Amino acid sequence: MKCAHESNVLRAAADDRWTGALRGHVGECEDCAAAAAAAPWMSRFSRMSDRERLLPDPAIVWLKAQLMRGTVDVARISRPITIAQLIAYCVIAGGWAGVLTWKWRAVQAWIGTLTPTGLVHTAARAESLSLTFFTVVIVLASMTVTLALHTILAEE
Amino acid sequence: MDEARFEAFYRRTAGSLWSYLFRLTGNDAAADDLLQKTFFRFLRANPALASEEHQRRWLFRTATNLAFDHFREIKRERVRMDERIREAATVLEPRDAMRHDMMRTFEQLKPRERALLWLAHVEEADHEDIGEALGVKAKSVKVLLFRARKRLGELLTRKGLAP
Repeated sequence: MKCAHESNVLRAAADDRWTGALRGHVGECEDCAAAAAAAPWMSRFSRMSDRERLLPDPAIVWLKAQLMRGTVDVARISRPITIAQLIAYCVIAGGWAGVLTWKWRAVQAWIGTLTPTGLVHTAARAESLSLTFFTVVIVLASMTVTLALHTILAEE
Repeated sequence: MDEARFEAFYRRTAGSLWSYLFRLTGNDAAADDLLQKTFFRFLRANPALASEEHQRRWLFRTATNLAFDHFREIKRERVRMDERIREAATVLEPRDAMRHDMMRTFEQLKPRERALLWLAHVEEADHEDIGEALGVKAKSVKVLLFRARKRLGELLTRKGLAP
């Protein structure tokens, strides 16, 4: 709690209009003495002309606030889409990682055949990876392309 | 709050809030920026407050927080800013030089001390309101304010401006 006399002391010190009782109080109260010492300078400092240009127009402030509110609303509304997009990124990345882990040996062997002669041999042979694997790869590839297109178009 | 009410409220409060922010930051562009940010927050939050006095307190509290965030952001540029101010002081008119000198004196205080002194002496806020604005307990305000006044007194004595 501030001293009950502080407001009077501040006013008296700022205007240099002291009463005997207030002077007596300042002599006894450490807080009021410090307040009285700072008050004249603070009073001059607060009266110092500071504004050499106009304040921002309230109509502009209002308009900007409305625009910002719109931006905030858009961000709030689109949050579920952003979250769904993040989940999709995770699912696709996890899917690719899973497929590669699941068929790593087969994929490695297939990569080993990616030479000009190997390609001819592989094409000639009926040997291939399973149908499930190709289905999964096609599904994952489609999802990746769809998500990539969505991301690019959303940014544009 | 509709636009007309906001405009009336803004015209009543923006001047004193700007002066406070200008004295805290020592920079009119920063004061403009922080003033606008404070009112943006006010409009966005649209606080259901009982009276204009409460809304005013809300503004000063938010402005103080924004100003302290601003200080954290510019901390690294502080030295360069001080140098620019010192350079500018050499070409000022006498009236401006005095104004500048007062600003420099006030800038030598810590941001919290500046806020304490301005809120207590100019806004005549009580300790509860000051504590709320600065995020400290009302009981601590008495001690902090005493220290801030002492610090200002020391600075003024050093400059030969003490009463």
